Amino acid sequence: MGSYLVKRVLQAIGVILCISIITFFVLNIVPGNPVRIMLGEFADEATIARVTAEMGLDQPIIVQYFNWLKNMLMGDFGVSYFQNKPVLDILVTSFLITAKLAGIAYLLSIVLGVVVGVVAAVNRGKWIDSFLMTLSVFGISAPSFWIAIILQIFICLKLNLLPLSGISSVSSFILPGIALGTRYAASVARITRTSMLEVLSQDYIRTAQAKGLKKWAVIIKHAFRNALIPVITIAGSELGSILTGSVLIESIFQIPGIGKMLVDSINTRDLPIVQGGVMYIAVICVIMYLVVDILYTFVDPRITLGKESES
Amino acid sequence: MKLLKKSLSVLVAVATLITLVGCGGNKDTSTGEKVFVFGQSNPKVGLDMQTNTNAGASSVADNVLEGLYRWNDDNKEEPVLATDFPEVSEDGLTYTFELKSGVKFSNGADLTSADVKYTFERMFKPETGCANTYMYEMIVGAKDMLNGKASELKGFKIIDDLHFTITLEYKFAPFIANLGMDYGSIYPREACEAAGKDWGKGTNLIGTGPYVIVENDDLTKVVFEPNKNWHNGTPNLDRLEIRYFDDSNTKMMEYEQGNIDMCDLSTTLLDQYQNHETIKNEITQITPLGTYFLSLKVNDPALNNPKVREAISLAINRDEFCKTVLNGAGEPASSFLNPGVPGHDEKLETYEYNVEKAKSLLKEAGVTNPTFTAEVRSGDEKIATALQAYLKEAGITMNVETIDSGLWAEKRSAGNLQATVIGWFPLYADADNQMYTYYFSENAAGKSVFYNNPEFDKLMTEARQTVDDDAKRVELYKQADYILSRQDYATIPLYYGKLQFVSKPYVKNAKLGNLIYHLYDIDIDLDAKNAK
Repeated sequence: MGSYLVKRVLQAIGVILCISIITFFVLNIVPGNPVRIMLGEFADEATIARVTAEMGLDQPIIVQYFNWLKNMLMGDFGVSYFQNKPVLDILVTSFLITAKLAGIAYLLSIVLGVVVGVVAAVNRGKWIDSFLMTLSVFGISAPSFWIAIILQIFICLKLNLLPLSGISSVSSFILPGIALGTRYAASVARITRTSMLEVLSQDYIRTAQAKGLKKWAVIIKHAFRNALIPVITIAGSELGSILTGSVLIESIFQIPGIGKMLVDSINTRDLPIVQGGVMYIAVICVIMYLVVDILYTFVDPRITLGKESES
Repeated sequence: MKLLKKSLSVLVAVATLITLVGCGGNKDTSTGEKVFVFGQSNPKVGLDMQTNTNAGASSVADNVLEGLYRWNDDNKEEPVLATDFPEVSEDGLTYTFELKSGVKFSNGADLTSADVKYTFERMFKPETGCANTYMYEMIVGAKDMLNGKASELKGFKIIDDLHFTITLEYKFAPFIANLGMDYGSIYPREACEAAGKDWGKGTNLIGTGPYVIVENDDLTKVVFEPNKNWHNGTPNLDRLEIRYFDDSNTKMMEYEQGNIDMCDLSTTLLDQYQNHETIKNEITQITPLGTYFLSLKVNDPALNNPKVREAISLAINRDEFCKTVLNGAGEPASSFLNPGVPGHDEKLETYEYNVEKAKSLLKEAGVTNPTFTAEVRSGDEKIATALQAYLKEAGITMNVETIDSGLWAEKRSAGNLQATVIGWFPLYADADNQMYTYYFSENAAGKSVFYNNPEFDKLMTEARQTVDDDAKRVELYKQADYILSRQDYATIPLYYGKLQFVSKPYVKNAKLGNLIYHLYDIDIDLDAKNAK
């Protein structure tokens, strides 16, 4: 287990290093001078040249990369060109906001998705199965921004039940959470149903039933646990996606989360934020996949980390 | 049946949770307090007006900061911290100012000439990273400070606590106009030094203006309360709140719901709200100082013939364009200078629309099917494609390519845009700010237009140096504008764009002059608000 973890962490570091190189160089060769954008239309060439030098952007790109990498390793992600604040502070603030939104969306997607999936599988072929699966197709197909706008119009404008936008209270995150989580809930529901159906047809389930165990005891104790592996896989990757923010949902609900911040920064060529943000997303994704791999062993003891390649 | 019961209980639980967590977004704010909520996009650049050029940041900082002068909503400059406009020496280089006495910053510190000097010196210190030095660097010693050769501004002399002089290196007529920009807001030395790099962030912004910031998360909103030391008495509002919205649809829904009292209305939503039962009566439309035009690279082989450029102008039906493409959010242009800018010739009529004349001009020029490419930003795509259709009628091919704004800025500064569509807004009502910045030969290359007419340059230079004769200066700009937009057709002015905002009927003094919302005069009619 120990050597596996070390190997995985080293792999992760390699991946992150590669991403840092690609991110830095690609962003720096994309046309669009951040100083020119920052200083606005009226700035003269002399001012642009002076500020460029003050920001160290007149140095060779390789020098800039190593400076950035060295500083980043020491926890200094640089300073935003526009906000004039440390990038790390900006990332942490945005992350905490996104985490609240992600928490609600994730809770919704897992709880609702698993419940719907199990109920549909248990009632296979009945009207409730058809109804729930039709609903899940709708959930997957409907764009999140459309759901967001519909929710805003009906829940906020017409019924005045929840805040329309902002982050002033926990209730502000409910609608964006639903809008963001619906799609993931639908995916989880379909995966859970498929996985449950597969497990429910196994011999050991029939044995358990033959032993006279109660229906729900069989489902929860024997079927559900074994059906969880594919669900965990998708749940892990979903958490990665949700935690990296949703630009559209954050824009519509005026949530200053990480997704929106990244897109705004790309538009203004605020490179330190974009570079820091991409590194953050890379780290989150790498960690999530690592956690998912480790979780497998708890769910299915047949999977052992050290012998992953053999199993 | 059991399942149905369970589902119903879950639904009831969720409904209860929603009720408990925080019912409703629209809170009843009918109190005796005058509270005003304004919605705008988040400038995301901080509120230090020396380090940004953002109009949104100006609208926020404007409630806290004041300068020696300001441009009001009638686009007139007026003294704020100075008693009057300065006396100018005979050589037109030295300006003598007098500060109003008894003015205090919101932290209780007195405003003195030393604060003004500190403000200007901070501006020119390289470590400040000032974005607006080009507006004031004609002050003697400014360039030395910017280059790190001096630590004091030689051209700024303190006479006493309330009097000081500023000397310029060369005559520069728009200097006083530049002082009216927020970039020249006066900072209190001690507080500003104490805040260091945090100046302009959170509540770290202190000025002599009507309000003080009591809450600012830099992300969602800024909350202001009255400045008890304000030199003009008591501000109208008990509480001012600026909420940030980057999505214009959401912002308008918040307005509709009554959560904000005033906000700008995007032109893309104008049509929708012009037909709204109540909001249609709450829309105010103004014509700011800018001009939208087709910017052409006049030294390009396809566009270097003035007759071809005139033909382009003749092929565009500006009246129809404004009515249909813009839904009325623009007035057809008659010259480059906006009608609100002194120097605009009111006698000029809207550019003629005559396709046959355009064709004959092309024939006269010996050009058949002139072809060029306009690279535009996504926001200008609709305008460009409409122009494309007009030009096609006259046998002119304008290809339209939409590119990313960063790439657009890069290509333009490198002189690589053959044509583009742009709205050019002067910061205040002065022709120098609108015309010199774009078409003076030294600036024209960086704008991808490469216009270079010595006669035009001479007029612009002379106007800059005409410090003491406004009438003459206006006349010089009139001539220069005619050469640029009627003789050389170096620019193809299209329309003077309109901006609109919405405000609730109980909001008093809601105005917009140019691009910056000044909220210092806003008041609330409490009777009307509570009756509603």
